Amino acid sequence: MLRADRAFGLLVLLALVSSAILIALLATLVPRVELLVERGAEEAGDLVAILLLGLATLGITLGLSSLFRQLLATLVLIRSLLARRVAVPARVDAAARGLGLDGRIDIVDHIRPFSFCYWFVRPRICLSTALVGRLDHEELRAVLFHERYHLRHRDPLRLVIARYFAAGLYVVPVVEDLVAHFTLEKELEADEDAVAAMGDIRPLARALYALLPDADDVDLGLLAPVGSLSVTEARIDHLVEGTPLAARIPVTSIALSFGALAAASILAATPGMLVAPASLLFVAAISGGVHQVRLVVQR
Amino acid sequence: MAEQSLRRLRRIGSDEKFLGPLEAAVMERLWKRGTATVRDVVEDLGRTRALAYTTVMTIMTRLHTKGLLERSRDGKTYVYRPACSREEHRERLSRDLVRGLVDEFGEVALAQFVAELDGVDAAHRAALRKLAKADGRAAR
Repeated sequence: MLRADRAFGLLVLLALVSSAILIALLATLVPRVELLVERGAEEAGDLVAILLLGLATLGITLGLSSLFRQLLATLVLIRSLLARRVAVPARVDAAARGLGLDGRIDIVDHIRPFSFCYWFVRPRICLSTALVGRLDHEELRAVLFHERYHLRHRDPLRLVIARYFAAGLYVVPVVEDLVAHFTLEKELEADEDAVAAMGDIRPLARALYALLPDADDVDLGLLAPVGSLSVTEARIDHLVEGTPLAARIPVTSIALSFGALAAASILAATPGMLVAPASLLFVAAISGGVHQVRLVVQR
Repeated sequence: MAEQSLRRLRRIGSDEKFLGPLEAAVMERLWKRGTATVRDVVEDLGRTRALAYTTVMTIMTRLHTKGLLERSRDGKTYVYRPACSREEHRERLSRDLVRGLVDEFGEVALAQFVAELDGVDAAHRAALRKLAKADGRAAR
């Protein structure tokens, strides 16, 4: 079982090792490109060098663009919501008592029920007035325990870092899979934290249920294991069944990632630009690059 | 750190952030006056800054295209009025942003209690309801 901390640690470790290999490869490209500028392309290795430089440029662009978009989207949203900040109601003060969240809760006047943990260095918790109005004392406390987990683990910061690495290291697609796993696992752990602290699963379950939009919930019998559950569905499964979540990382993604890193290591260590390992790197780059570019387009 | 940055952000007016400075200034005049022609707005804004008639006309036409201003003809002149109140406009912005938070959670760096409200099927909904309404102390 790969829990949130371990998933994030593995992700960062893999990202740093991958970055070191790719930077070493980039360093070998620089003199070659200088030579290319002087005399023009003469052999297949020159073409490989140009393509590798293109891949590196795309990686840097995707990484920085992910970072910029995330920060901008977060700032705009937070700024807009905090313009509607109101005093913390006594009910919230009472629910937060003893949780160590003094001065770290913002209440915003809004018709939609929501709560989240935000900001990077010293995170805070934001609740809407609609959420506060919809939940009772126990449910509110369960939500605060859930958010406190994110606050203590600085999850907004970890999320930015994880997504930055996934975008920049698109040639190592397993990083993106680890981000997805981390994203889900941190929610499951935050739920576990809330249930353990409350000593009862029901307040959290009631809070989640109260926040789902109105719709038919006809009991269709046993929960069917589905490959692509939403995060909330996986959380419900976890609450109902209490079983640990198995990390689902596609074998092809692992093979492509390690193939690409092995190829990059060979290219960095070998004086000439070998076409065979470079081809493997290009295959991984196309696979991961298409996914990352699709993400940018979708968002 | 967060407080300082948020204070800095708060100094930017929210309308200005989403409309652009000149668009926000024009909307501000319209919300104050109720109705106005391009000439009225040019004269109003001309007290504090020099603006060409055509610039203001372009801005007001754009705001009309965006659905923020309505207009009717009075002879050869258009008379503009806000399509919604300032409060309604802010409410709409905020609602869109929160909708965005739910829909495009992938871009926003937040740890949200319920990320995709609509992404829960009936079976999971029913299972959660059963758990929420279970009798006795349901600790694991």
